[in-house]
Amino acid sequence: MTEIIYLDNAATTFPKPPEIYDFMIDFYRKNGVNPGRTGCDMALEAEKVIQETRQMLTKFFGAKGDHNRLVFTYNASDSLNTIINGVLKQGDHVITTMMEHNSVIRPLNHLQAEGRITVDWVKTDKKGVVDPDEIKKLIRKNTKLVIINHGSNVIGSIQPAKEIGAICKAKGVLFAIDAAQTAGMVPINMEEMNIDLLAFTGHKSLLGPVGIGGIYVREGVDVKPFRVGGTGVHSAYPYHLEEYPWRLECGTPNLVGIAGLHAGQKWISKHGLDNIRKHEMHLAQELVNGLKQIEGVVIYCPNKLENRLPVISINVQGFEAADVGTQLDVDHNIVTRTGLHCAPKVHETIGTIKSGTVRFSFGPLSPGKDVDAVINAVKDIAKTGLSRTKTTKIMFEVYTC
Amino acid sequence: MLIKLPDGKEIEVDQEGFMTNPELWNEKIAVSFAKLDGVENLTPEHWIVIKYIREYYTQNSLAPMVRNICKTASLPLKKIYELFPAGPAKGACKWAGLPKPDGCV
Repeated sequence: MTEIIYLDNAATTFPKPPEIYDFMIDFYRKNGVNPGRTGCDMALEAEKVIQETRQMLTKFFGAKGDHNRLVFTYNASDSLNTIINGVLKQGDHVITTMMEHNSVIRPLNHLQAEGRITVDWVKTDKKGVVDPDEIKKLIRKNTKLVIINHGSNVIGSIQPAKEIGAICKAKGVLFAIDAAQTAGMVPINMEEMNIDLLAFTGHKSLLGPVGIGGIYVREGVDVKPFRVGGTGVHSAYPYHLEEYPWRLECGTPNLVGIAGLHAGQKWISKHGLDNIRKHEMHLAQELVNGLKQIEGVVIYCPNKLENRLPVISINVQGFEAADVGTQLDVDHNIVTRTGLHCAPKVHETIGTIKSGTVRFSFGPLSPGKDVDAVINAVKDIAKTGLSRTKTTKIMFEVYTC
Repeated sequence: MLIKLPDGKEIEVDQEGFMTNPELWNEKIAVSFAKLDGVENLTPEHWIVIKYIREYYTQNSLAPMVRNICKTASLPLKKIYELFPAGPAKGACKWAGLPKPDGCV
């Protein structure tokens, strides 16, 4: 079988390190029982891994509080829905950015459409970065929440969370971050960054499987649950428990997913977050260096990738993004993600709302030879694209960060 | 919305020109779609691709994988783009009367 070059790690990392698959399978075979529901040794062992994972992630995100405030969810969208619907009340004002994913855009739009909240969308500079002062200017008496995408899944820009967190703390406004792309890629310290609510997914740079995510809720912040039900403890009590983690968790937890996060934490700790990031950023920079030499290619990032994620978006003149993706896939066995990436406001910002972009994103196991393969493939497509520019009606607005 | 085909007939399409009722497709509609996209004559190679897509869609209610289109038609992808300038999804599938395939923006 022809080797596939997988460069869609911003969607989900693939493959995961073998140790992670091995741990999940072995753990589920040996301890795949319902944790917290019975006192048998197998259930206690399963519960132990869950609690260890809460502790590992609490430490990993630099949270100083109780590890039980690290709650598990299905994914980042689930976490963000829980945060947005759990902290906002009638009449609240929210500040967010043009870099958001639909996992923030849509919950906010729904609440706004129902007349419950008002929202301000902060624009970015040409590199896709928000000026913290622009957020400060928008804070008013009823501002309850500032929620930002920490790292863009389209153009890889990273927001100045620490500066924004300091402003929020000074003004008494809750600060939440969508760390879907940054958790496991960029160091996050909730304490230093004054983050009140952190939403993450497990299947990207945290290297777990799909179907697991989480929230860390800082001490002193309360999120109202919008799902209630079984917790396995205090079963005679007629209402859902107010204590964390049960407050935001109900039903049987995703044991395999949590085991994957456990193994992912060990792998990241063994290899070092900085080393993983250096590896991926080196590949991303090499890719940019190669792509910028190709006529007909528009790259949506700065020449030098400083304070960015290993996520590179491009377009090729003469083809829509989806068609570039099809050719990369079918002719070159390169897997990418094309279109709007569930982040339409980013594409509005960079002028690609009509057809989106082609996104390359690296993972911890991406080999260096992938970069050369991509550059050669894009050269081939761009050559054909240029020959088509006079015969097709497709036009691109050129915007370079 | 309704669009008028070069033969004068009107059909219902979505905002991007894909048929909203694929059951109403016939070969004349494919010829008309091609003309709207600037291709005056459909060759036997066009018809191999269109008929394969149509047959696959009829059986599976899905557009086929692009690799399978190439394999069935024994054509490289570059040739598919020559035949259908808007590509396999927005060209070939549209001419074959399919609704907009998943994955398109």
